[in-house]
Amino acid sequence: MDDDVKVLLIEDDNAAAEMYRLRLIADGYAVVVADDGEKGLALAIAERPDFIYLDLRLPKVDGFEVLERLRANPQTAAVPVIILSNFGEPELRERGLKLGALEFLVKADTTPSRLSEAVSRVTASKALPSV
Amino acid sequence: MTSPAFDQPATVDEHDPFFDTAARIAADIATPPDETSRRASFLALSGDVLTAVAEYDESGETFPGHYELSRFPNFERAVVTREIQVIGLSELGNLSSDGAALVTRHRIRSCALIPVVSGGVVAGVIAVSARDEAGFTDSQVRQLATLAQLVGLRVGHVAADQALREEAERSQGLERLKGEFLNIAAHELRSPLGIINGYVSMLLDGTLTGADERKALERIAEKSDEMGRLITEMLETARMEALGLELLLAPTDLMDVLSDAMRAVEPLLGSRHRLATRGRRDPLPVMADHLRAVTMVLNLLDNAVKYSPNGGDILVAWSRKGNVCHVRVTDHGIGISREQQSMLFTRFGRLVTPETSHIRGTGLGLYIGREIARLHGGDITVRSEIARGTTFTITMPLAPEAPLAGV
Repeated sequence: MDDDVKVLLIEDDNAAAEMYRLRLIADGYAVVVADDGEKGLALAIAERPDFIYLDLRLPKVDGFEVLERLRANPQTAAVPVIILSNFGEPELRERGLKLGALEFLVKADTTPSRLSEAVSRVTASKALPSV
Repeated sequence: MTSPAFDQPATVDEHDPFFDTAARIAADIATPPDETSRRASFLALSGDVLTAVAEYDESGETFPGHYELSRFPNFERAVVTREIQVIGLSELGNLSSDGAALVTRHRIRSCALIPVVSGGVVAGVIAVSARDEAGFTDSQVRQLATLAQLVGLRVGHVAADQALREEAERSQGLERLKGEFLNIAAHELRSPLGIINGYVSMLLDGTLTGADERKALERIAEKSDEMGRLITEMLETARMEALGLELLLAPTDLMDVLSDAMRAVEPLLGSRHRLATRGRRDPLPVMADHLRAVTMVLNLLDNAVKYSPNGGDILVAWSRKGNVCHVRVTDHGIGISREQQSMLFTRFGRLVTPETSHIRGTGLGLYIGREIARLHGGDITVRSEIARGTTFTITMPLAPEAPLAGV
């Protein structure tokens, strides 16, 4: 039971955020939601999440800029980020990965359970003692 | 083009001065200063050489060194009969001082007026002067007739080329917009589809139970509706492009339309927006297509929510004045600038600015909405101020005589 793992969802579509939240909570994660880029950055610092799901199309500060700023800030640079977007264009995927996202998932093709799987996979590997 | 039967070389060379002159005259004739005027090129024929002397405009507007065609003897006759008119010096007697000066300066003894026909109309007249009292030989007249035919052909081509070029530009512009639009539309459909898929997967694997199950089904229904509306928007637009929109008008109470639209936008309001209403509770009888009218109002409400990201009240106010009713939808959102307002009701007029790039939607709603309003005999107008908010006003003619069903 990983109930001390906190996931930050930066997603402006309320219906999508609610759906992912339900899934993640059902799988035992704590969830915080930000519905714009500005709030997302603030919560990334204030809540110290273990994992961030980041939408690209956001009000106030867009996803790519949020990612850049997360990486630039030592407080948040190490938090794993996966991009969750409905844009599937290869250039965008490339840019996201280059900016330091672990993965680029297309929402329409991603079931909510994949979100939990990714979190457990990434946090499990982080928990392994370095040899 | 008939082959010239006169003293011309057997092979026709496009760089022959004859053709060049024809081309130049054609270019001039093809671009008259306005649609109603015709132009004439006044040429001097010396032997086989045609030299341009002056250009004329029928409407009386004169070009530098030019002469009013209306004063030109037999000009009208040339245009009407479409036959070459040859005028001798004696007939050239009735000229203005300008004309007389021209005649003197170029030692004109006779003149031929050759109408140029293109696309079934007389596009222009070539006036050719001769310094010989004997006027023009048959050979020369035939030559001029050929010139006129050539010019006529060229005029037609120039006009056709121009039209083709404009059409190509328009199509390219449209193709580009269509491509962008298809892109936007496809993305817009992905959002609700993702939600439907997500909830369905959670229902299937048993993640959701009890109240959550119910909520999930409601979300699926909402998103399904949303997709339906998006698809309808796109199809309506395609149909409108091809056939024009057809309304099924029937006696309708606009109040019913308003309440249906407000009910449909309810799920989109969330915690940040509130619908407020203002107006008398009396029926507003109109002749309307209920479904289309709801689409029209719903689109305005939808926009009000989307473009006021910080939430707030959305006011729906209605009133009647004489035999017209007004419905106003007001938000207190980001507003629309003047320049953006001009694009607002066009087919691809999504306002894409840094502030709005994240907003969902195809941009068709207002285009369709205004079409619907106009087909009802009304209109949609907008008033807006950046950072203060926007008011869209629908005007519709009332139809008080029409009996309302169930009223």
